[in-house]
Amino acid sequence: MGVLRLHPARVAAFTPKAVNNVWAVFDAQLAVYALALTVIGLLMAFTNSGDTPLALGSLFTRGLLWLALGIIAFTVAAAVDYHWLRTFSWAVYGLNMAILLGTLAIGSGIGGVSRWVSIFGLQFQFSEVAKILMAVVLANWIVSRQARMNTFWTVIGAGVIAAPPLVLVLIQPDLGTSLCIGAIVLGAPFVSGASLRWIITAVVSVLVLLPTIWTHVLKDYQKQRLLSFLDPAADPQGSGYQLLQAQIAVGSGGALGKGLTQGTTGQQYLPVQATDFVFATLGEELGFLGGCVVLLLFGLLIWRVLVIGWRSRDPFGLAFAGGIAAMLLFQLLVNVGMVLGVMPITGIPLPFVTYGGASLVSVALGLGILESIAMRQGRPGT
Amino acid sequence: MVFGAIVVIVVAALGLRLFQLQIAMGGHYTELAQQQSVDSLAVPVSRGLIYDRKGRQLVENVPVFVVNVRPADLPFDTRDAVVARLAHLLKMAPADLYGAIDAHADSRFDLVKVATDVPTATAQIIAEEHLQLPGVYVDVEARRHYIYGELLGHILGWTGSISGPDYLSLKSDGYVLDDTIGKTGVEATFEKQLRGTYGVQQVQRDATGRVVRVLSTLTEPQPGDSLQLTIDVNVQRTAQQALQWAMNVVGLLRGVFIVMNPQTGEILAMVSLPNYNDNDFSGGISTKEYKQLLNAKARPLLNFAINEQFPPGSTYKLVTGAGALQDNKLQPNERLHTAAYISIGAYKYWDWNKAGFGNITIFDGFAHSSDTFFYQVAGRLGIDRLAYWAHQWGFGQLTGVDLPGEVSGTIPTNAWKEQTLGQPIYPGEVYQAGIGQGYDEVTPMQLIDAYNALANGGTLLRPQIVRRVLAPDGSVVQDFKPQVVRQLPISQSNLSVMRVAARNVLVSRHTYNFVDEPIVVAGKSGTAEFGLRDSQGRLPFHSWFVGFTPKDPWKHATDPNGWNAVKRTDAQLSFLAFAFDSNTTGNAATEIVKYFIQLYYHLHVDLRERYLLVQNNFYGN
Repeated sequence: MGVLRLHPARVAAFTPKAVNNVWAVFDAQLAVYALALTVIGLLMAFTNSGDTPLALGSLFTRGLLWLALGIIAFTVAAAVDYHWLRTFSWAVYGLNMAILLGTLAIGSGIGGVSRWVSIFGLQFQFSEVAKILMAVVLANWIVSRQARMNTFWTVIGAGVIAAPPLVLVLIQPDLGTSLCIGAIVLGAPFVSGASLRWIITAVVSVLVLLPTIWTHVLKDYQKQRLLSFLDPAADPQGSGYQLLQAQIAVGSGGALGKGLTQGTTGQQYLPVQATDFVFATLGEELGFLGGCVVLLLFGLLIWRVLVIGWRSRDPFGLAFAGGIAAMLLFQLLVNVGMVLGVMPITGIPLPFVTYGGASLVSVALGLGILESIAMRQGRPGT
Repeated sequence: MVFGAIVVIVVAALGLRLFQLQIAMGGHYTELAQQQSVDSLAVPVSRGLIYDRKGRQLVENVPVFVVNVRPADLPFDTRDAVVARLAHLLKMAPADLYGAIDAHADSRFDLVKVATDVPTATAQIIAEEHLQLPGVYVDVEARRHYIYGELLGHILGWTGSISGPDYLSLKSDGYVLDDTIGKTGVEATFEKQLRGTYGVQQVQRDATGRVVRVLSTLTEPQPGDSLQLTIDVNVQRTAQQALQWAMNVVGLLRGVFIVMNPQTGEILAMVSLPNYNDNDFSGGISTKEYKQLLNAKARPLLNFAINEQFPPGSTYKLVTGAGALQDNKLQPNERLHTAAYISIGAYKYWDWNKAGFGNITIFDGFAHSSDTFFYQVAGRLGIDRLAYWAHQWGFGQLTGVDLPGEVSGTIPTNAWKEQTLGQPIYPGEVYQAGIGQGYDEVTPMQLIDAYNALANGGTLLRPQIVRRVLAPDGSVVQDFKPQVVRQLPISQSNLSVMRVAARNVLVSRHTYNFVDEPIVVAGKSGTAEFGLRDSQGRLPFHSWFVGFTPKDPWKHATDPNGWNAVKRTDAQLSFLAFAFDSNTTGNAATEIVKYFIQLYYHLHVDLRERYLLVQNNFYGN
């Protein structure tokens, strides 16, 4: 791992000239893997758009719009020197809390939940952005703990910082995003070399607290979802029904799939085929081959994220990369695992592939910051 | 690097699971996927109602409790206990209940109806015990209630569960497995109108057969149309009262009474006794009860007005007489000698009075119902010409009344006898055919319809039981106008001769005191032998009376005998009585009509002659 150095950021240190130069070391791999996954996501939006995928307002055309927004978010984040994020770390934290409180206040959702905020007619789930902002804040915390990385307080501090936004997300209620934030909280210190002993201790204590969370925090439908994973037959038309249909869809895809838009199970029997269960449609229509390509692209992308972290001379870069990698890996494992029947149903989107503007733009933002990190390691000080 | 290893492991593990699902078990899931299907589901509608010609409601749809079982929801381990408890509550044998549950095997997720018309108390108990009775559901369905019961039993008919073969042939018309369908009466003949159109929803079924969701409504549900019958319940009741009276006095097994409007062909009343109650069927009849009704000696399930054919006896002399007049084989004023009998070889063909009536015209021949007169007339026509005229009057063919199971009767011809018996018609058989005996067989409906044509001036009409089809909002969908079968090729003067002759049946006192009624009636009585001779060589016989009254039925001083009244063709009321196997001193059917006239016109005279209704097997008229 790189040499750990502490650089308090100064506003005057960065000039436009420096910005121009950094594009020469643009990390193409990161962008290519992400773009490839986004294209597959667009294909899924196309196949789930019904009879008129090219009509204005269809999943596909809206997906194109979100892709454009994602590219802008990525480019802007890459262009800005990530050191600014450290300078304004507490401001970022404040922004994070503000959008989550705002979501609770004015948000709307399905079935008595408030997750969505409507902006100019487009639904936006701000808790997705919160994940990225959490990764920024946590990375900054780890940088500040550089000398005492191995202590108990590094881990506890990460937990304490993460707790307020996590609770706000949990009471939306959005169990999936809460778990993602949990993954970031664990991933960032872990990659940065925090004491494994304390991380494990923290995880175990949370597990001990679980029964209390189960009875006092989780909503009935969330319990139902988790339980139906344990016994799919118990609720054949509820969550278990989706699980069975998802496996039928994937299983009937075979080696090469039924072809784009040719799937029947995913299209007709899965209630949420475009969102959380999109991998079922993908498996049915693109088959084992398509599924493997997606898994491989995710593997390469996450690996690349880690590589950027490892190459970073800045502990912020490593910690941030650790958080983003943990988040991506967690979402991949839980979402695809859920569709394949090996993970509980939690409503966590598959980044890039699941249709959802907030998810795409947020991930693009995170990767943009990573790109900014990657581009600014060769010439410290310039 | 540890994290890197975790990434590799996670991706590999997911890839492995993907391999397992798609490659290793792909065939299994492909099969499951193919079993999921888009299907259509029926949305039942309420059946149309039935009214009489005065707008009286004759049938209603009554909500009743039914018990359904969804086999898939019966837990395997407690199945026996649930069935035993349910059988106890429904007072069924557990084996019968098992049979009912297993009878429909389309999908274990489809509801199976195991009991209908469940008492409210039982339905409540089953509903309360739903936790102990998983898979058992209490629902409400509409059942037909026939307000007038037996009175309109044959006419309305009943609805029942669709039979297997019916279901298979009607499935494409939207019938469903446990559907009801009109089985008899107008419920059957107007099934299409009454039923309406069930809505059809396109639904998705998953691999287990369960309905997942409704995709679209293919057909909007359309409630059934209602019927307005030509029947007048009050006339029907009067007809039944008159018929039942005589049947009770004489002890008759069966009887028919029909009342019609000769101008339109509308049936105002049609009684066939004994009858049955449609409500016994609409609630689901037990096999035992059904067999009892089916095998009862009097065969109450048959509507003898149309479902059976009988020898018409002397009423048929209308065909012989009018045909001979029209064919110029007989002149209205031509006198024929009527002796006690006519011989053909060794055979003697007797007149009913064993004496003859001397030299008489058709007016007296018809009035006294002289057999020897009509033997001669039939001989002049010949069997085939006789059959020709019979067919013109509508015999030997269906009248086309909108009720199920009508029979066509038998009119013998040379060809017919060659075909069925391999012999030609013998001269004696021509005589028999001329007086409505021998092979002649008609339905009561054919007979009254022929006399309708006589009354209205020669127009044979199709008898009608339904007047209008009404939409649920009350607007008229179909208005049944009089339907002309044919115009008889008989001159008005010849028809007038036969009407005057028919009036002479009463005026000549052949029907005793019937002529003393203040109502002008023209008609013909008949006595028709059938079956086997008794030990004294006598045959049992049916009696008939068929006739009509002019538009103004009352006697007037200017026309005391009603000759002018019956020369007109404006009759608006015709009637027929048929007393099966009556064997009475007098003509039982005539007494029935006499009583009907008294009741119908609210007469203050009672001319019924009870002494004529003694059974003594006297070969009368």
